Parts: sequence; structure tokens; C-alpha cells
Amino acid sequence: MADMAPRKTTARPSGAPWLSLKYREMLEAWLFVSPTFIGFLIFFLGPLVAIVYFSTTEWNLLSQQSTFIGLRNFENALLENPDFWHVVRNSVVFALGLVPLNMALALALALALSRPFRGVVFFRTIFFAPVITSAIAWAIVWKFLLQGEGGAVNQMLAWIGIDGPNWLRQPNWAMAAVIVTRVIKMVGLNMILYIAALQSIPRDYEEAATLEGASRRQIFRMITWPLLAPTTLVIMVLTTIGSFKVFDHIYQMTGGGPENGTLVLAFYIYQQGFKFFNVGYASALALIMFVIVMALTLVQVMLRRREME
Amino acid sequence: MTKVLLKDIRKRFGTAEIIRGIDLEIDEGEFVVFVGPSGCGKSTLLRLISGLEHISDGELQIGGRVVNEVPAAKRGVAMVFQSYALYPHLTVRDNMGFGLKVRKVPAEERARRVADAAATLKLEPLLDRFPRQLSGGQRQRVAIGRAIVGNPDVFLFDEPLSNLDAELRVHMRSEIAALHRRLATTMIYVTHDQIEAMTLADKIVVLRDGKVEQVGSPRDLYDNPGNLFVAQFIGSPKMNILPAAVASRLSPKAETPSGTQSVGVRPEHLTLTAPGKSTLEGVVRLAEYTGAVTLIHVELSGGEICLVVDDGNKAPEVGGAVGLAAKPAVLHFFDKEGRAIA
Repeated sequence: MADMAPRKTTARPSGAPWLSLKYREMLEAWLFVSPTFIGFLIFFLGPLVAIVYFSTTEWNLLSQQSTFIGLRNFENALLENPDFWHVVRNSVVFALGLVPLNMALALALALALSRPFRGVVFFRTIFFAPVITSAIAWAIVWKFLLQGEGGAVNQMLAWIGIDGPNWLRQPNWAMAAVIVTRVIKMVGLNMILYIAALQSIPRDYEEAATLEGASRRQIFRMITWPLLAPTTLVIMVLTTIGSFKVFDHIYQMTGGGPENGTLVLAFYIYQQGFKFFNVGYASALALIMFVIVMALTLVQVMLRRREME
Repeated sequence: MTKVLLKDIRKRFGTAEIIRGIDLEIDEGEFVVFVGPSGCGKSTLLRLISGLEHISDGELQIGGRVVNEVPAAKRGVAMVFQSYALYPHLTVRDNMGFGLKVRKVPAEERARRVADAAATLKLEPLLDRFPRQLSGGQRQRVAIGRAIVGNPDVFLFDEPLSNLDAELRVHMRSEIAALHRRLATTMIYVTHDQIEAMTLADKIVVLRDGKVEQVGSPRDLYDNPGNLFVAQFIGSPKMNILPAAVASRLSPKAETPSGTQSVGVRPEHLTLTAPGKSTLEGVVRLAEYTGAVTLIHVELSGGEICLVVDDGNKAPEVGGAVGLAAKPAVLHFFDKEGRAIA
């Protein structure tokens, strides 16, 4: 009778895999995401946590002495150091100049180059090429082009009777010159994003609107532009973030001058950290920049969401 | 109500001629269906009439006026697209009123006309919804509503039902037919579905390779196809085409005209008989029961497969021999060029 007793059915059958299907699938999923996840931990989250810690210290890179000072670096930047607000103002001016100019130009180019015509690939390549060019090389070339009397830009202006300024040495012109050269370099990226978005809008919408009597301008204003809104938001956020992080152009073309007229936040952080070796203070500034960019991004996203509702 | 006249209309894309000389007269208030296989040029022809494509050669008249050089918006046509082309960021109300808005029609009149069209199509509860919140059939009705609001002289439909499921397609087909009866406006409708063409049209235009194969009423095309292509394209299941020699055995009383190369008989006009020496014999290879009828595939001695629609209760067994017969009046004779012999 004992032989007839039912066997336990919950026991793992012999030869079955060590892990159940559910856990094997979970393990596989983690293996697939692990390269990115590990990279994120090492290269993003790790430094971010380190910066939070460094921002609460007074740490001189040369003396290698680190002292915990709480929020003193933030107090110094936000309440005591007049340079900080000057630098923030410069960054805001840079962004306000660059973002609308870049987006308007990118959209205009995309509208012109989104439809097929002979040579369209050539023109797209021409406008995109600067994006993949070395920023430093680009800045060096433009630094020469924008030189005072000997610069190519001023020589061309002279042909039509205009006496051009010393672009990078005059406080009033230096910021504008850096913005424009940066726009020319980066506009191709936004152009490509806009072209992709324009090409994803079904042709039927335009044809239906044409049949209903809409002019090209009305079609753009009432159909195309609203349908581009998600792309516009992405471009606006990315370009704003990029403009606050600008470093290479400033470093090479003006060094923050003249008279600190182009001294923007990212370059100021670099100066504090690697020129004056105030790593603690530079870390606090980097955190402030992180918060500013995050806040701007959130505001843009919220405005867009409200507009869509 | 507006007459549409096409005189030797041609359309070339580069060196390829897509529309190759089409002459056609569409009467006032007529429901005309362009039908043909994929790539025959039916949608291109519709776009030429709408003004979305430029006519390479020929003359197009709408309402007695030559419109070759008239912009699309001023031809008095409205089009319902295959994809519906509803603007996704606008509500149903704004979609329907879009054309009036861009034409600067006062807001009050705009609201009245949108409300009228919405009432006609029973769209009132949907006016404040966005296209993404509508079903396929509702989107279709909104697209038609948008066309109605503009009060056009000619409606153009470009395969408007092809994105709908079978049941909804039947329903929308009847709605479009009812709309035509109510509005009595000239309508031109493109489809590749010959059932749609047969059920909706006053007049069917069969197209192939950019040319008109035949124009006529649905019954005319079914009863008197002008050539082999039309004979096989119109009617479902398609007409059986057999060698001329079998005509006398299929229908002993039939007189085969001289020059006959092939004989056509529709599957629904064939009857199954007991096999015998004087009848056309074959072997049943497949019997498909569809509920109302059974489609029987009979292989003849020459290897041709002949389809028979059998509405009898007891279908013959697969592998069994059967005889085929037809009345003389239902036979169609074609010459070696494929033209019908009267």
C-alpha cells in the first residue's frame, strides 16, 4: 500500500533547469541592459554623487586638502560672489540668442530641403557637415575668419563698403559672433530632426488642405507647425541644454573675454576647477547649472503640455 | 449638379505614360466608379480631376468650364481620402470647418454648416472629439462630413472603404449610396473592389494600364463584357474562360460564331449534370462550402479548371466525375484578340 501513495508534485523534475522560466527571463533581461546600466552607474551617477559630496567641501586640487564646509560654496556663489550672476546672465543671453536663431534657421532649411529635388542630398550634407566637424577646429577657423582687419569676414564686408568691427575683441560683438558661429556649426543637427519630422507628416494632410482652399502659409501655420510641436519641444530642450553647456567655442575663440563679456557658466566652472583649482566651489557651480537646466527643461515641457491640452 | 468631361486626358511622369488618353463623360448627379487592378491609373485619374496632379495633355471640363489650369481649390471638388486625412490636432468640429475657416467664412455660418453636415451624418455627439478618439467608421463619416461642408459640385472618393473591416465596409457602402440619393451630387469613386463598384455605381469605368477598357452600367458590364479582361474582372467568382471547342458540348443548342477563340461562362450560370458522352465532363478536384453555396472546382479533360457555383444541398464528392451544362444565352464568345463577339 505504501508504494501506492501519491508522489509530491511540487518537486522539481529531474533534468529541469536550475532556475524557473520567470527568473531565467529576468536574468536575460538584466544581462541585456547591464552594459548600459553599468556605464550609467560609472560615468553618470557616480560622478553626480561625487559632485554632490565635493560641493560641500573646500578642496584645493594642488594642496589635496579637503575640508567639509556644508553649504558654504552655494552661499558664496548665490549670495556673495558678483561674478556668478554676471556669468549666469551671460549664459542666459547666449541661450536667448542661440536657441531661437538656431531653431528658426533649422526649420527654414528643413522646409527647403525636406522635399526631393536634384542636389538635395548635397545641400543636406553641406549643412550637416559642420556638426561632425571638431568643435575646436571649427572655432580656430572662425577665430581667424573673424580677426580684426585681416579677417576674411571683414575683408568681404569691406568689398561692400562696410568697416567691420574686431568681432572677438569688442564686448558688444564678441557674444554675437560666438553665437552665430555656434549656430552655423550646430544648425545641421536640428535641421535633420526637422526634416525627419516633416517627412513623417502624411502628404494627405497638405493635399486635403490644398483642396479646401488653404494657402501655403495657412497650411504651414494651421497644419504643419502644430504637427511639428513634439519635435520642436525636443529640439528646444536639447538646444537649450547645449547652449548652457557651451565650452569649446568660448575656450578657443574668446577665453571668456573681452572684459568677461563671453564668460558663460560652463567655462566659469572650468576656470574655477582647473585654473584656480577650487574643485569644491566648481562642483557647487556644476550642481547649480544642473538645477538651472533641469528647471528650464521642466518649464518647457509643462508649457508644451498645457498648450496641447 | 455638375457634368464632368474628359477629352483625351494623358498623364506622364517623366517618360512613363500612366494615363494614356481617356475620353469620358460623367453626367450631372451621376455616381461613377473607376475600377481596375492595382497600378491601372484609377487614383491618378481621380487626382487629375481634383487638381492635385497636373494634366500632361487633353482637356478636363467641370460644369462646362475647362479647368486644366484652375487650382484644385477652385474646381468645386471635394475629396475623401483613403487615409481620411483628418488633421490629428483638430477636433471633429474644427476638421469639418477647416475649409470654411481658411476661406474666411464668418464663424456663425461656419458653425451652422458644420452643424448641418453633422446632423446629416449623425456626427453631433462626436464634434468635440479628436480623430484619435474615433473608430474607423466614425473617421470615415467625419471625412465625408468635411467634404459635404464645402458644398462641392463634385465629390471624389479615393478608395474610402479600404481601411475598414468587412462588416463596416458593407454598412458604409449603404451610407454612401444613401448620401448620393439625398444630395444628388455628381460623385466619382475609385475602388479596386468590384463588389463596391457593382453595388454603388450608376456607371462603371473599367481601367487597365491607363486606358478605359469599357464603360457601362453594372448590369451592362456583367451581361455584355466587351472583352476578356472586363469579363474576368467584373463578377465574383470570375468568369470561366474555356476553349471555343467546348461550347457545343457545354450547350448543345448554342451557335458558336465564326472566329471564336474562347468561350466564357460565369460560375453561377453552370449547372452540374450526370456525366455522359454528349456533355462536357470533368472531375471534381475541390468543393468549398461557403454556407449559401458550394464552390466546386472541376478539372476538365484538357486540364482547365472550371469553377461552378452550386446551390444544391448535396455537393458531389471530390474525385467524382460530373457533367457541366449551361444555357446558350449565358455563353460569351471572344475572338483571338480577346474582344467579345456579339
